[in-house]
Amino acid sequence: MQVKHIVLYFILFASIQIYSQENLYTSFSIPINLKENANAVIRSSELNITMNAIDDMTVYEKRIITILNKEGNGSLDAFVHYDNNVKIKTLEVLVFNQLGAVIKKIKKNDFKDVSAVDGGTLYSDSRVKYLEYTPISYPYTVEFICEINTKNTAFIQSFTPVNDYFLSVEKSSYTINFPSDITIRTKEKNLEGLDVFKEELPTKIIYSVKNMEAIKPEQYSPALIDVLPTVIFASNRFVYEGVSATADNWMSFGKWVYQDLLNDTSDLPESTINMIQNLVKEEENEIEKAKKIYQYVQDKTRYISVQVGIGGWKPFKASEVDKLSYGDCKALTNYTMTLLKAVGIESYFTLLFAGNSQRSMDENFASMQANHAILSIPNNGQTIWLECTSQKAPFGFIGDFTDDRDVLVVTPDGGVIKHTKKYTTEENLQIIKGSYSVSNNGDIDVRTNVNSKGIQYDNKYLYESDTERDLDVYYKKRWKYINGININKMHLNNDKLAIEFIEDISFFAPNYSKIVGNRMLLTVNALNRNTDVPDRYRDRKLPLKIKRGFKDIDEVEIKLPPDFTLESQPDNVLIENKFGSYKAEIVVKDESTLLYKRELVINDGEYPKEDYETYREFYKEVNKYDNSKIALIKNQQ
Amino acid sequence: MKITAFLLSICFCTSMFAQNFDFGKVSKEELEEKFNPLDSSANATYLYKFRKTYFEYRQEKGFVLVTEIHERVKIYNQQGFEYTTNKVNLYKSGGDEEEVSSLKASTYILNEGKIEETKLKNDGIFKTELSKYFDETKFTMPNVKEGCVVEYKYKIYSPFFWNVDDFIFQEDIPIKKLDATFSAPEYYKFKANTKGFLSVTPKMSKKNDRITFNNKTRHVSGNTEFSTSNVDYYANVYEFSLSDIPALKDEPYVNNINNYRSAINYELSYTDFPQTPMKYYSTTWEDVVKSIYDNPNFGSELNKSGYYEKEIDEIIGTISDPVQRTSLIFDFVKNKVKWNGYYGYYTNEGVKKAYKDQVGNVAEINLMLTSMLRYAGLKAFPVLVSTRQNGVPLFPTREGYNYVVSYVKLPDGIILLDATNKYCTPNTLPFRALNWQGRVIAEHGGSELIDLYPKEPSKNTISMLAAISENGTLNGSYRGIKYNHDALSYREKYNDAKKEDFLEKLENKYGGMEISDFDIKNDFDISKPIVESYKFLKESQADVIGNKLYFSPLFFLKTSENPFKLEKREFPVDFGYPSSTKYLINIDLPEGYKVESAPTPVVLALPDNLGSFKYNLLASDTKIQLVIDVEINQSIISPIYYDALKAYFSSLVEKEAEQIVLTKV
Repeated sequence: MQVKHIVLYFILFASIQIYSQENLYTSFSIPINLKENANAVIRSSELNITMNAIDDMTVYEKRIITILNKEGNGSLDAFVHYDNNVKIKTLEVLVFNQLGAVIKKIKKNDFKDVSAVDGGTLYSDSRVKYLEYTPISYPYTVEFICEINTKNTAFIQSFTPVNDYFLSVEKSSYTINFPSDITIRTKEKNLEGLDVFKEELPTKIIYSVKNMEAIKPEQYSPALIDVLPTVIFASNRFVYEGVSATADNWMSFGKWVYQDLLNDTSDLPESTINMIQNLVKEEENEIEKAKKIYQYVQDKTRYISVQVGIGGWKPFKASEVDKLSYGDCKALTNYTMTLLKAVGIESYFTLLFAGNSQRSMDENFASMQANHAILSIPNNGQTIWLECTSQKAPFGFIGDFTDDRDVLVVTPDGGVIKHTKKYTTEENLQIIKGSYSVSNNGDIDVRTNVNSKGIQYDNKYLYESDTERDLDVYYKKRWKYINGININKMHLNNDKLAIEFIEDISFFAPNYSKIVGNRMLLTVNALNRNTDVPDRYRDRKLPLKIKRGFKDIDEVEIKLPPDFTLESQPDNVLIENKFGSYKAEIVVKDESTLLYKRELVINDGEYPKEDYETYREFYKEVNKYDNSKIALIKNQQ
Repeated sequence: MKITAFLLSICFCTSMFAQNFDFGKVSKEELEEKFNPLDSSANATYLYKFRKTYFEYRQEKGFVLVTEIHERVKIYNQQGFEYTTNKVNLYKSGGDEEEVSSLKASTYILNEGKIEETKLKNDGIFKTELSKYFDETKFTMPNVKEGCVVEYKYKIYSPFFWNVDDFIFQEDIPIKKLDATFSAPEYYKFKANTKGFLSVTPKMSKKNDRITFNNKTRHVSGNTEFSTSNVDYYANVYEFSLSDIPALKDEPYVNNINNYRSAINYELSYTDFPQTPMKYYSTTWEDVVKSIYDNPNFGSELNKSGYYEKEIDEIIGTISDPVQRTSLIFDFVKNKVKWNGYYGYYTNEGVKKAYKDQVGNVAEINLMLTSMLRYAGLKAFPVLVSTRQNGVPLFPTREGYNYVVSYVKLPDGIILLDATNKYCTPNTLPFRALNWQGRVIAEHGGSELIDLYPKEPSKNTISMLAAISENGTLNGSYRGIKYNHDALSYREKYNDAKKEDFLEKLENKYGGMEISDFDIKNDFDISKPIVESYKFLKESQADVIGNKLYFSPLFFLKTSENPFKLEKREFPVDFGYPSSTKYLINIDLPEGYKVESAPTPVVLALPDNLGSFKYNLLASDTKIQLVIDVEINQSIISPIYYDALKAYFSSLVEKEAEQIVLTKV
């Protein structure tokens, strides 16, 4: 009787299991809220990580995902990276139709196997196996099972249920098992308001989450990485490419990087040391010396990305760069650091996340992070940051690639988190001084001088090396609202010392000012018209974030056509709000001369999503006033 | 006068002699040069480009193809650094593979007036297995600086003797001196195909050569006898010598810039060895067609019918009208088999498997379609096509084509079909396949050319009924009817997108205009045009100055910039298909205002009936009526019309921006 009971119970349980599994293979059972904004739905994801030892880790993943439409194919993520340290144990895929019936089985050997070199990399020893599947109808469901074993335990996959826009999650779980002599640290981010289950045991940590709705990208919002719910994991002891380490905070992590990855890379031939000492011997001041060395590196080297084994994190030797004159970010940073050391200047290897999104290293959570390296030179309590992969950047100028974020500075005493230079609104300045004359038939003859600093410098200074043919097209696009531009002069000056980019341009455009009857309509702002309005969202979900502020100051003198007289002009405008300010003013200097003054300031900042519409309104106003016209009337003969 | 000429010629000779193109003989003058005197915008220049491709006999393997490369490149500035990293793609298939060997390379710089050489070592060479069919060897030069010269040479051995890489005579940077040689033993008959704007003629000669065989014969007695024998033959040698080749610069609206790059392709026509039957590869279009047709992945795939007969019988049933039959079968294939993104005119897995799996490449889908049409009694033929990406097929080569579509001959016309895109209608091929001419393959190997560019323009009719208010707000309704390619691209964008997203994008395309009552008709009924309609509200559509209102009657629909910005142009402008757009705009004026002035009617025309713009405006007391017709009648417009085209678009932009003035009464 007792036995029967158990059996019955067992069968019941089993059938429920089966039912719920099967349920996931058809698209009919997707809750309605998860379909909203979603191109794909993760029905169930199980990630089981087992650290058997500090150099032995198994990662098992089983993911059931329903692809709702063509756009969703990108979320399939049915691939696995591998190299000499990673063995693929299981890799298989089942494809189900809308009703949940199997329509295709794909085994490991049917996966495409290619080198994981991307366009920007010369060589990498990493490879990838990926699924190539042509859907025959939508929606369809894929079950992806993958198990790998790796000797590297430095990177432990995080629990990130959603890694992309337009993707929702029904259920996702994460388990990590580890030996009792290993400590696993965790850090939770953006989990508030989610249905999260969590269990922490001495040798096991479990997380799971249900019902996560899809996120849709929106303009002027924080970077995806800053809003994604995630839990990151790190082991205090780990092995990376055969090198074992102990690190539980940035201090000790930095120490490991310094001792195990950087210590034997700072070799240089005597001749180079002598040469570099000779190069700077005239300079008294450390900064001037560093400038000379930075210029030397910029002239000597170029950026080539080579990712081999430990090269993923360990720089090539300085002597190697000295000989070959090329290297990746780590190699070039290390090389510059070694040259500086040769003349007695202390500088530090710095790890960070590069890119426009200003992603920071996690301040309180030491782990293998970062995708880029730069150099920092302490300078009386200030820090000078050097981007060593650029042959063009001025000394100490890092631009939007590495600005305003937390980075790990590796000193001999250990790692320290610091914040890179933030380019403030006032610093990101563009000043336009110009003049134009309008002819009796509406043609304009324009002369302008544009001076850009800060991030506005960053946006433009690379144009210096464009060909004349490309620049001609570039300027026609910059003033795309003026038809038939004919450029007569382009003079660009990249002042690397002052970090200013100066453009001297003159051009002619026919019929700019429109003649209507015996009047002429002139859009006063010819040189810096804002044409973009932030997108409108019916239901804004993400907060408003303006990553970088800027300030534009324009002063343009206008010579009116001799046969016309000013009839009416728009009122002066002044708008001020928390997002910035806008000023536009027309000064009548004499009967044929006007002075147009405009100032637009946009501050950086973060605001709740409710503010987005006001911000958009502000831009709409700017747009409107930038299109303001004056009316001129033909003189009576 | 004579003396000057003489002196000049001496100078010339001297400077010619000063150039030494032996490996390593880089001169100071080359290193000192700051820019290319013939093209100061060049970031780098090939000082010397050498290639020799020939056959080498190997005892075990027979003839293998050898290519020697030697290049010397001057790097003027940092933008030219990309030419210091090189890539050699090596093909492999069925155990045979191409190999690169004898790679030698150096960088030269001038250091305090002295030439300094840095050799490429193994640490600068990288080998990667890209995929099952390709390996890649890359090398990057050491010690590269602005002003340096890099030089490298290597050999490639290839067992794929029928596949000689194109000889390319024009690059994206200038070439000062180019030498190229192709030589092939008399047994291999190659055909040369030239393309591009440069005129290139080889010097031809014959060269004698000999193969020595070492034979080993073991006699029954146990003795081994060694002997040698010789075979004498000659090789056909083609030599090219060119200098000062300008860089090829890309231009917008060019179909595919490689169509204009000067190059020669050697394609194997046939092999003719003594005591061996001739083996044909291809020589004429007929041969190309025959060799494609005879390939088991084409002709016999086309002739298979058993796998679908039952379904097709059911579908066509009693319908006898050929047009209806065609369209039923076309729809059936489009719904049944999905395109896996692969091109080619040969089937990969075969039509049967594609039919069963419901997935196939271009050949599987369109050969299946052709076969079904034939089964249904229609005169259907496959058409070889070269996609825009692949360039224009100028000579009879198998590689000239990379795609296949289907074609039906009906009593009252022809129909082109491509079932790889579910939104394609008869005679509307996807944009990728719109490339000059296709080659129709007749049942018994014959072929004829057919124009792939559509004859009929893609029509687009836009009507707008709107009212402008005193403060410049525009309120109205919009209706657009799109045919052919305009409908196709609309369906591709709309049908697979989320409706809310699509709408949001549409609103933001017009600066956040508010749209309501959005409706699409015939999104899935592709036999009818797309009809898009909505109501809209947009602020600041007129300038209010004093007691007057100023606005362009096209409002947000106007063409805001000239797409042609380049000052001059070398290559044709390719629109892909002819188009015809009609605007019908009715504007209600705010009460109490009257029209003070309005744009006058105008007609603009491109020469030779290439296109036209007609603008007609009627103003009454309360209403404005505007009718505009814009037509582009040709898919391709020759660069001789570029100035006219640019001026035409400039006038069009200007006319569309012209304003109406209303005065308060």
